[in-house]
Amino acid sequence: MPELYLALLDRILTPVLLLLAVVFLLAGHNAPGGGFIAGLVVATAFLMQILARGDSFVRKLIGIYLQPAMGVGLLIALLSALTGIGNNGVFFQGVWWKLSLGSFELEFGSPTTFDIGVFLVVSAFVTSYLLELSRPAEGAAR
Amino acid sequence: MLTNLLALLAVSGPILWLLRPHRWRHAGWLAAMAPAAVTAWLLGQLGPVSQGIALNEHYSWSQALGLALDLRLDGLGLFFGLIIAGMGTAIAVYAGYYFEKASTLGRFYALLFLFMASMLGLVWADNLLALFVFWEGTSITSYLLISFKLTDSNALEGARRALVVTGIGALAMLGGFVLLGQMAGTYSISGLLALPPSTFTGHALFAPMLGLVLLGAFTKSAQFPFHFWLPGAMAAPTPASAYLHSATMVKAGVYLLARLHPALAESPLWFWALFIVGGITMLLGAVIALRHYDLKAILAYATVSQLGVLVMLLAFDVKLATVAAAVGILAHALYKGPLFMVAGIVDHATGTRDIRKLAGLARSLPLVGAAAILAAISMAGLIPTFGFLAKELLLENFFALIESGQTQIGWAGLAATVISGALFVAYSLIIICEAFLRRKPALKAAKIEHAPSALFVLPVLVLTLVGAAIPFFLTAIENTLFAAPVAAITAAPAELHLALWHGWTPIFLTSLLAIALGVLLFTQRERVRKLFASGIQVSGARVFDGLVDGLYGLAGWSTRTLQGSSFPTQISIPLLAAAGFVIYAFSLNLVADLRIDWNAVPTFYEVVLPTLAIVATLAIARAQSRLSAIISLGLVGVVVLLIYVFFSAPDLALTQFLVEVLTLVLLVLVFYRIPHHAYPKQPKHRSMKYLLISLAVGVWGFGMALVAAGEPLFPLISDFFSLNATAAHGGNIVNVILVDFRGFDTLGEITVMVVAALGGYALLRASRMRPIEAEEDFEEPYDA
Repeated sequence: MPELYLALLDRILTPVLLLLAVVFLLAGHNAPGGGFIAGLVVATAFLMQILARGDSFVRKLIGIYLQPAMGVGLLIALLSALTGIGNNGVFFQGVWWKLSLGSFELEFGSPTTFDIGVFLVVSAFVTSYLLELSRPAEGAAR
Repeated sequence: MLTNLLALLAVSGPILWLLRPHRWRHAGWLAAMAPAAVTAWLLGQLGPVSQGIALNEHYSWSQALGLALDLRLDGLGLFFGLIIAGMGTAIAVYAGYYFEKASTLGRFYALLFLFMASMLGLVWADNLLALFVFWEGTSITSYLLISFKLTDSNALEGARRALVVTGIGALAMLGGFVLLGQMAGTYSISGLLALPPSTFTGHALFAPMLGLVLLGAFTKSAQFPFHFWLPGAMAAPTPASAYLHSATMVKAGVYLLARLHPALAESPLWFWALFIVGGITMLLGAVIALRHYDLKAILAYATVSQLGVLVMLLAFDVKLATVAAAVGILAHALYKGPLFMVAGIVDHATGTRDIRKLAGLARSLPLVGAAAILAAISMAGLIPTFGFLAKELLLENFFALIESGQTQIGWAGLAATVISGALFVAYSLIIICEAFLRRKPALKAAKIEHAPSALFVLPVLVLTLVGAAIPFFLTAIENTLFAAPVAAITAAPAELHLALWHGWTPIFLTSLLAIALGVLLFTQRERVRKLFASGIQVSGARVFDGLVDGLYGLAGWSTRTLQGSSFPTQISIPLLAAAGFVIYAFSLNLVADLRIDWNAVPTFYEVVLPTLAIVATLAIARAQSRLSAIISLGLVGVVVLLIYVFFSAPDLALTQFLVEVLTLVLLVLVFYRIPHHAYPKQPKHRSMKYLLISLAVGVWGFGMALVAAGEPLFPLISDFFSLNATAAHGGNIVNVILVDFRGFDTLGEITVMVVAALGGYALLRASRMRPIEAEEDFEEPYDA
């Protein structure tokens, strides 16, 4: 299935998409974006790769990380929900930390880490389905 | 401290697993340290708790839902806690030798300790919902322990039965707990018990609530007609059987009855349900035990019978019965646990548990024989054992009833006790004489392959000796050990005066009568066995399997009927069902409520975008190739995306865009696999049918949109979100809702996603595995 023009395009687009996902993920609490959208963007980036270089290439690259990523994501989400108990005694209570970098202030909290968990689950979930469905069926006519 | 102890047990199991304990011969002693520490701490609490000082711990974790982890160590919790931790220590040592370097030992310890933590949590929980969670924890660990030998299909069957029966009971119990919580206005157990009992007994829903709670207790404690799962659970490794299925888990139902006793026991309904079910279970278990030759099966049915006795005793709202129940629980744990462990050692040494193949073990295994005989005479209730004391109290209870005027109940209970007591004596004698004393077995004798080490027998011996010693130290311990649980069950301070010997009272004479009958049964045992074996045997397990198969059949039928035909029919059924209800609702009165402004002038986009969507939809229907249909479908998605953009919902638009891209490619990938001939051209009448269905669904969607755009039926929640988003440190309301306001929902959703990912992965893999299976089938003829 590899296509030449896609193979050229994805060299530019994949890093852009992955960077975009990071922006969506981190800025998502205040601007459009968030873990769910960032996860879908990552899946789209891998989709580009699948179309351009074939599914086996992508599987070799990231296949073994997909299921662990889902588990880790779920764990991160759960732990962020539990930080509330540790701090205020209530499940899912948001805990926020402020990081001052001179004039620039960075807010970071348990909802952010929760969103990272969501991001990991969504991106790995969609990518694993894309990979499984794009695996050429055995015996099927091409 | 209570939480720390639970955490200690829950964590030490997996740690032991990681240490791979099967490498050391004496790993059991290391494993026993955690439960031994718990036991030691609990023994230290005996003093304050028997003074009536309960230990409370409270951890709130979701105030909005009113959920908290409440633990409370009172008399009853301490009494059960001591049995669980004490027996657990002995079992941990025993298991180390039982598994003897089998590499599964680590997994066994992990499960055993998780079970122990759940069981302790169950008896310490002071919240109905927390109790339920721990209750399910014991069910699941029990399931994993029964099916421990994964290659044994009997074990898997037994485990499934046990899980389904106790699981159904637990669900019913949860329903009962909710009713109970609604009646009391609190889920706190101590809060609920502080209310006057009339709060519950006088309530209109008392009978359904009681029925549901009792269903949970009866299934867990293997009461008739649910008793069949317990013998099936004997496929578990013997340490698990000795611990879970005789000493602790099966007592969870009894514990629940004892715990709720002060609130519910006043009602006659409670009395009759417990008295009848407990009585039947007591007799049935004792009778069936005589039918069996497998040591573990005999002990399993004897356990069923003993659980019946305990349930029957809790039927009564008098102190004497409660004392008998408390003494009975401890006595049973201290003789039945060791007997099970002996059965495991015998199995280990000879390779069989069939009593017909055993003989003279007392000579070849003197330590085991001594422990077994000591425990068995306690089971028989011979003087001066702990079992004798328990039986005396049981009989005393019925004599007191007869004296107080409740003659019918008293005589019925007395008769049942004498009969089951005689049967207890009979099979205790069978175990002692046939397995340990006689010289020649009935069948070909099993040889002792390797004798157990003294350390293997030590935990059994210790438990038996503790049980044997207790009757002689009654005055020293009766008010520290037994008074507190009795006080908790009767909700009144209790002072006890137990004694082993009362003189030649009618009680003692009745006890002698039961023993004499038992000896008579023993001498006639072959005839009795034949008689019992010829009787009608309704196997509960078979009835249960039939029910489960019926359920599978029903599921298959509904799947075939609703989803068996072509894909268009499959989706038409739910869509039409949904549309039908909504259209019906509109026809009633909702149309009048719609406010439609007929004079509004649509903007440019509002005209262009829907037109585009309609054209694209028509293109899908008319498309000649699949690819063009998929692209047209994508166009519809883009229109929706543009609508989001124009109505300024950037987050939705982004999501819609990404989902659209991904589904488009997924569709291409899926259609790529389906051969072309799978879609022949549809005949005209079928196209018309699908068109009508589509129209109905369209009307439904349109109606829903109209209602949603009209006057809100309920106050909107979005104002709250927009007002509080800044307080939640976020500018993007959608994201704040997802990860903060409704974080719980999101957590549930991503959990579902992970589960769906695993399921989908398996399904997509399964389609690829078929060719391999076919090859295996092909090879079969060569084997035959």
